[in-house]
Amino acid sequence: MGVFYANNNDFIRKDISLTGGTSVTLNDKIDPQTIRQDLAGQLDGIDTRGIYDLLTGEQKAVIIETKTDSNQTKTVLENYLGYELTDANSSFEFTGSGLSASFYQQMIIAIFLAFVFMGMVVFIIFGENILVKTYVIILAVLSVKIAYSSVSMINGLVGVILLVLIGFMFFYAIKKKSKLILPIIFSLLMLFFFIFPSLYVAYTLEIILLILILLMGVYLKHSIPSFAVIISAFADIFMTLVVVNMLGISLSSAGIVAFLMLIGYSVDTDILLTTRMMKRTEGKLNTRIWGAFKTGTTMTLTSLLAIGAALIVVNSFSEVLSQIFTILVIGLVFDLINTWITNVSILKWYMEKNETIA
Amino acid sequence: MKLSLRIWILIAILVISLISIFGIPPAFLQKGVVITSVDTNSTAFEQGLAKGQIITSIDGQKISNLQDYTEIISSKFPSDAPVKTIFNTKDSEVILFTNSAPEITVSNIPKTNLKLGLDLSGGSRALIKAQDKELSLSEITDLVDITSNRLNEFGIADIKVVTVSDLSGNNYMLVEIAGATPKDLESILAQQGKFEAKIGEQIVFIGGSRDIASVCRGDATCAGIESCGEISEGYSCKFAFTIYLSEEAAQRHADITSNISINQTPQGNYLSEKLDLYVDDNLLNSLLVSEDLKGRVTTQIQVSGSGQGPTRNEAIESANEEMHNLQTILITGSLPYKLEIVKLDTISPVLGQEFVGTILLAGLIAFIAVSIIIFLRYRKIKSSVLLLATSLAEVVIILGVAAFIEWNLDLPSIAGILAAIGTGIDSLIIVLDESQQETSLSLKQRLKRAFAIILGAYFTALVALIPLLWAGAGLLKGFAITTIIGISIGVLITRPAFTDMVRIIGE
Repeated sequence: MGVFYANNNDFIRKDISLTGGTSVTLNDKIDPQTIRQDLAGQLDGIDTRGIYDLLTGEQKAVIIETKTDSNQTKTVLENYLGYELTDANSSFEFTGSGLSASFYQQMIIAIFLAFVFMGMVVFIIFGENILVKTYVIILAVLSVKIAYSSVSMINGLVGVILLVLIGFMFFYAIKKKSKLILPIIFSLLMLFFFIFPSLYVAYTLEIILLILILLMGVYLKHSIPSFAVIISAFADIFMTLVVVNMLGISLSSAGIVAFLMLIGYSVDTDILLTTRMMKRTEGKLNTRIWGAFKTGTTMTLTSLLAIGAALIVVNSFSEVLSQIFTILVIGLVFDLINTWITNVSILKWYMEKNETIA
Repeated sequence: MKLSLRIWILIAILVISLISIFGIPPAFLQKGVVITSVDTNSTAFEQGLAKGQIITSIDGQKISNLQDYTEIISSKFPSDAPVKTIFNTKDSEVILFTNSAPEITVSNIPKTNLKLGLDLSGGSRALIKAQDKELSLSEITDLVDITSNRLNEFGIADIKVVTVSDLSGNNYMLVEIAGATPKDLESILAQQGKFEAKIGEQIVFIGGSRDIASVCRGDATCAGIESCGEISEGYSCKFAFTIYLSEEAAQRHADITSNISINQTPQGNYLSEKLDLYVDDNLLNSLLVSEDLKGRVTTQIQVSGSGQGPTRNEAIESANEEMHNLQTILITGSLPYKLEIVKLDTISPVLGQEFVGTILLAGLIAFIAVSIIIFLRYRKIKSSVLLLATSLAEVVIILGVAAFIEWNLDLPSIAGILAAIGTGIDSLIIVLDESQQETSLSLKQRLKRAFAIILGAYFTALVALIPLLWAGAGLLKGFAITTIIGISIGVLITRPAFTDMVRIIGE
């Protein structure tokens, strides 16, 4: 992954929906190779592929992707083909480079927030005490506040939620005579941010990193099982991304959505496993793991087979769906490994450690 | 066997969903063709044919589909003399005397109430923002109003113009047009449409209702092509139409022209300075102002321009388009800033139908794959069938909700439905497995524990989706919405019912 980043200056290969450019679908039997070679000099960064009927194998259309804008692409293609392009014989999809850059940035924000929220819910389910749970919620809400910094309505709402939560935390901490140092420092910092929003705009990334480190710290200290769930989801995404890069797939915005879907599938089995291991007492630990394994693999295998079958059908017909399905198939395979090897090991180690202490 | 309340709720909602998808009586049982549009300047419109009506018979012959309709109409028209045609719709009868086919478009009655998104049914979509300017919410609302007005004036039907905001607080205008994409959509949407009529440096009048009381349009006596002529590269045609100034603008015209000297030419006497027409700061045309208009409060002004083309017909067409565009700008007025189209998709409807077929096939094969695993794993016919049936019910209910809220099913939405079904089946498997665990707990308690896991997974997935509602100018909202609807239906309706089914079988 590091090597890939060094070579491409980014974590993924982006398709034109994320870099900006034009995608044209011509409902015509044109050989993708020929047209690519013929137009390579005229259309910037041209890439082509065909769409074929699943049963007959007959070509339905050809897709041309280029970084050139839609008007110029249209002119070039009309000159090449010798007929006018209308909505009866072609589809054009143009994305400006400014929009696609902000699109990409927002997808990253969406995934980041998804992780923070997911971590929050998992912590509420498996976490230790109410004080720490509140603290995690505050951190999560704060990250929303930063990500949405320019939307004033959300600012107001988030402000109210934060104040209520901070109040609760103080009240609870005083009542239980808990250590107050960290929450106090942090709450003050937050109030500071609220009063001077312009201060953090330049440091959004740094503050988000700070929050992530704080969250990580809280998780490691107070709830290893929640941490394991998040690590498993993260590992699923990361490993899938590596494979996607190795396969040379250019990600579209829909592809990034697939990673979000992967989070959903990943936490399903993780929550099942963690609940069976941590919250149940009957039977031996290994019996419980085996039971969870049986249920979990059935779940993942049904998804895997269903999506794999669907992938074969839509393959080449729809770029959007086949990319989503490909990513899910790869991700689910990794999920099997991450949940039943990594996650089980972490949880087992944690429980055995706790038993020896007890 | 006694069914529990939860199962009854599932059955009731399933029935409502089916009604919501297919309507009452079911649309696929209805015979006839539905009118999709009627030309408002036609006799068909005057006689009462309207969009949405269902034609069941023509001249007493039953019409059951588009083919029947085309056969009858093409056998009658065009005819030399007006002929009588009787249209029977579901609850009315319309009689036309014409010698050409009625100016209506019809299509087969859609089999379901489900609406497909642009990427499946064809159409165009544009995402627009102001150039070099951050628009406030009120500015973007004004922009949406002007643009809707312009598209309506231009005569484009089936449009949706809304504002969208994204995670970073950028505001955009989203324009969606179903069906055929109008030519020059880009210029209609993106042009600022700043019209100015100047004499020298003084502005006489501008576009919009403040200066222009009305614009002649669609009336051959005061708007049309005046003349065509050959030029070096093909033909050029001149168009002209009359506009009526407001009194204020007419007074301004009088004040400005009163101080201008007169040129005497063999063709007649004109003011020494011309009336220059600018559109978006480009000179469109310069008009000579005749002597007798000097200093007069005149409300009636003739605006002219030209269109070119390689052939005479193309020049006429181009002149007509230019005229239409100019009329629209004069009526709707200018936008206070320049616009930039940041995304423009025009999707051909041709591949859409096959696409839907492919997706249905993919769904069917996925379902078979899931069925095989479930049967192999459980080897119990009853619970396996119930699991699969519950999962199917979930799909039907999701589609029912989509039809009810008139959600356009685009590709992201379909991916969302898949995600919801996938996690739905996962949850049902958890219920089934937990119910079969060997513990001292009662079946009811075991099912309760299963639900704890399901709720945990539900909330985790739910919160992970929320940011996507706004990310990327809402273009992936469909995915988030359908997934959220799907998993919520699962947790609230289908899974509780399935838990009860498992309990009933278990007892």
